[in-house]
Amino acid sequence: MNASQPIESVLWDDWHPVAELVQLQRTGISGTMLLGVPLTLTLAADGAVSATGAPQGTLVPMPHVQIRYGLVWLCLGTPARDIVDFPETREPDRVVCTGGSVAVAVSGLRAVENFLDLGHLAFVHAGYLGEEPHTEICAYKVEPLAEGGILATQCRVYQPRPSPMESQGFEVDYIYAVRRPYVVVLFKANPVEKERMDMIALLAQPVTEERCIAHVLMAYPPHNVDVASLRWFQQLIFGQDRPILENQVPKRLPLDPRSEISVRADSSSAHYRRWLSAVGVRYGAVPAAAA
Amino acid sequence: MNRWFAVSACDAVPPGHVAYTQLLGQELVLWRSAAGVLNAWENRCPHRGVRLTLGSCVGEELRCQYHAWRFASGSGQCTHIPSHPQQKPASTIRAQVFPLCEDGSFAWVNLTRDALPSPHPAASLDTALRSIFARAPVAAVRQVLLQGYGGHSVGLGDEFTLSVPDQKLQFMLQPVTEAQTIIHARLRGDLNAAERMTIFRHHNALLSVARDQAEAAA
Repeated sequence: MNASQPIESVLWDDWHPVAELVQLQRTGISGTMLLGVPLTLTLAADGAVSATGAPQGTLVPMPHVQIRYGLVWLCLGTPARDIVDFPETREPDRVVCTGGSVAVAVSGLRAVENFLDLGHLAFVHAGYLGEEPHTEICAYKVEPLAEGGILATQCRVYQPRPSPMESQGFEVDYIYAVRRPYVVVLFKANPVEKERMDMIALLAQPVTEERCIAHVLMAYPPHNVDVASLRWFQQLIFGQDRPILENQVPKRLPLDPRSEISVRADSSSAHYRRWLSAVGVRYGAVPAAAA
Repeated sequence: MNRWFAVSACDAVPPGHVAYTQLLGQELVLWRSAAGVLNAWENRCPHRGVRLTLGSCVGEELRCQYHAWRFASGSGQCTHIPSHPQQKPASTIRAQVFPLCEDGSFAWVNLTRDALPSPHPAASLDTALRSIFARAPVAAVRQVLLQGYGGHSVGLGDEFTLSVPDQKLQFMLQPVTEAQTIIHARLRGDLNAAERMTIFRHHNALLSVARDQAEAAA
């Protein structure tokens, strides 16, 4: 990024996760970085969180910091909207937890795109979220979300072990919603309740253009679910993705459709890249050259 | 730059092997098919940019680790996309292939796509010495070698090739990046089997000294 070019408001004036609360509770204080700005987070004895940072060069208290969904959220600019909403977390019977936060040496936009990706499940997550010969990706639907973002529906994949609670494989229905440039939510068919879905959200903290911290938020209907298993499973799965992500070249997400070849199975990725271009996201991206 | 560079000893990449190297900052995947064809491609899957060195050789194809797309030895043409197994991949989907040739002991790559075949003759009796990596630019390595090597004077072949006057020993410098060089070297002719190990150790020590001196000067 050109140092003289300000970071786009769609990211600067939005809330981003900067720590998992359970991790901060262990240390009381932690250093991190958001959009290139170093931050220090402090958890007081009463549970309140505060932050200092130097977005303009001098160290100042950060006015916009709060705890929600088990994560610490921070806005560097002037909040233009509230923290992204996860209504499922308010359903009283759901098991809601964070899944651990993992630093990855790649743009958070690449991490979000990988989370949206169906074609890698049979290979990168073989034996869990897919397996050969069930590699075909049937056509699914992608549309814009009214409030911004994209929605992918009618996704269906065969999974030998779709969640830590399952030991039997079945065809799983998926819905994806990209709600913010660095936030994507996955809804998976729940094996017990047909009308409710498991929720797994990936929230990428843009540390720099080429580094992110992947935070995970989950909300599961309460059937044979325990927090430790959910966290273990997410960390196992993400551990399989991480070496792939860290070997993507370039580390930033190319938005020019000619940079990387897409096929029909990549429809959600192609829509995601187009939407990022449309809303002017440059941070963490290789923008399409001006026509 | 339209010229040929030695990038590996041939026997360092046996059939089925996938290796990483870099030439003038360009990352390469070097891989040899089951049938023995050596390939030098851009180390990047054209689909989602994952390094192909994470992938594996499957017969006459290289398979990407991310979505298991397969690319044909020789052409780089994509042959199979598992998410659409019934469809033949478009002819435009291919890995970027760089011209490569082998001279019996070393593999040579040219980063110019339509480069003419290499002028290097087959020299199957040559013995490749251990290639050695130096954190120093080509110019610094060349400077050190030109000061002499194991009591021999070393002459300049060209910017990237040097040899001792009787041509018994040749050095080929691979510019990895502007600050890194791989020193390849070969002995002309066949080696006496009984002396082989002694000769290898002798050159290993000399090359290591050259590397240390180049790094100290860089």
